Amino acid sequence: MTRVKRGYVARKRRKNIFTLTSGFQGAHSKLFRTANQQGMRALASSYRDRNRRKRDLRRLWITRINAAARNNGISYNKLIQNLYQNQILLNRKMLAQIALLDTNCFSTIMKKINE
Amino acid sequence: MASAAAPTSMAARFASMSVSSTTTPTSAVKLSSSFTGNSASLLSLRRRVTVPLVRPRNLQVHAKGGFIPAEHRWMYEGIEKMGPDVWNSTYYPKADDHKNVEKKWYIVDAADKRLGRLASTIAIHIRGKDVPSFTPSTDMGAYVVVINAGKVAVTGKKRDQKLYRRHSGRPGGMKEETFDNLQKRIPERIVEHAVRGMLPKGRLGRRLFTHLKVYNGSDHPHVAQQPAPLPITDKRINIVQ
Repeated sequence: MTRVKRGYVARKRRKNIFTLTSGFQGAHSKLFRTANQQGMRALASSYRDRNRRKRDLRRLWITRINAAARNNGISYNKLIQNLYQNQILLNRKMLAQIALLDTNCFSTIMKKINE
Repeated sequence: MASAAAPTSMAARFASMSVSSTTTPTSAVKLSSSFTGNSASLLSLRRRVTVPLVRPRNLQVHAKGGFIPAEHRWMYEGIEKMGPDVWNSTYYPKADDHKNVEKKWYIVDAADKRLGRLASTIAIHIRGKDVPSFTPSTDMGAYVVVINAGKVAVTGKKRDQKLYRRHSGRPGGMKEETFDNLQKRIPERIVEHAVRGMLPKGRLGRRLFTHLKVYNGSDHPHVAQQPAPLPITDKRINIVQ
């Protein structure tokens, strides 16, 4: 058989992994075998956390709304109940942002539901 | 629409192009090829996948370098200056939003207050759970000064029966101490132990714990920070004598 040098075939394959793991700590971005493993874990975490993100953000909004509501003298559960009864369809993300950025608007909402 | 008419003419053009490629070139060198034209199945595939070559380039509104589709342009009317979307992206604090020198200071008198309920209120304020800008990964809370820590109260028989345990690390090195004993020895440790158990455990939790300042007597060195009275909503926090 004729002699076949492998050329840079392996290097091209490994380069893709290294672009994925660039910026990782220590050997995780320098040595191929560890970087390969860390790349796989990174992709798996990324997949799992795309769905987790939806849950985590909703938890955060609820905590923030709870804090703002308690500053206004009501608890989160009572606030949500009152909003539904008054048919105010603001979702938790918007409520949390309003509570942070526009406190006047938030107190107006509170007044409306207390009527 | 012009684009609807384009695919069929495109397909025709492709078909004609492939046909013309099979005609033998009239050159000096005789080239022979077994290619007799693309099969009908390939051609029909091409017909389905044609893409109009010319993109309609009418007005493009750019928001921070991004293209806004036609249906959304009404939302951007009247906006002169484009910036980060503060309403649709959940707030995350920058470094300027949680500078230690600009944090609130609270003061609370622990005399004749129930230990656990007091610790719970303190921990909420140190963690920042009472603020709408709460973020679990950053320190958005306040500083809390506790005075008269030696007079904090417990109900029932806890004064003689509640045990504080610690271990020196060596075998047989467990040491126990009653609430009463510890209050005589190091009274600040009681409130600190209670609050530390209610703060998150980890790097951030340890830093939050340093925002708690406990003093045995009624003097404290933080007069310059002008601490405000800690707002307490717990109705059963005071021991009714």
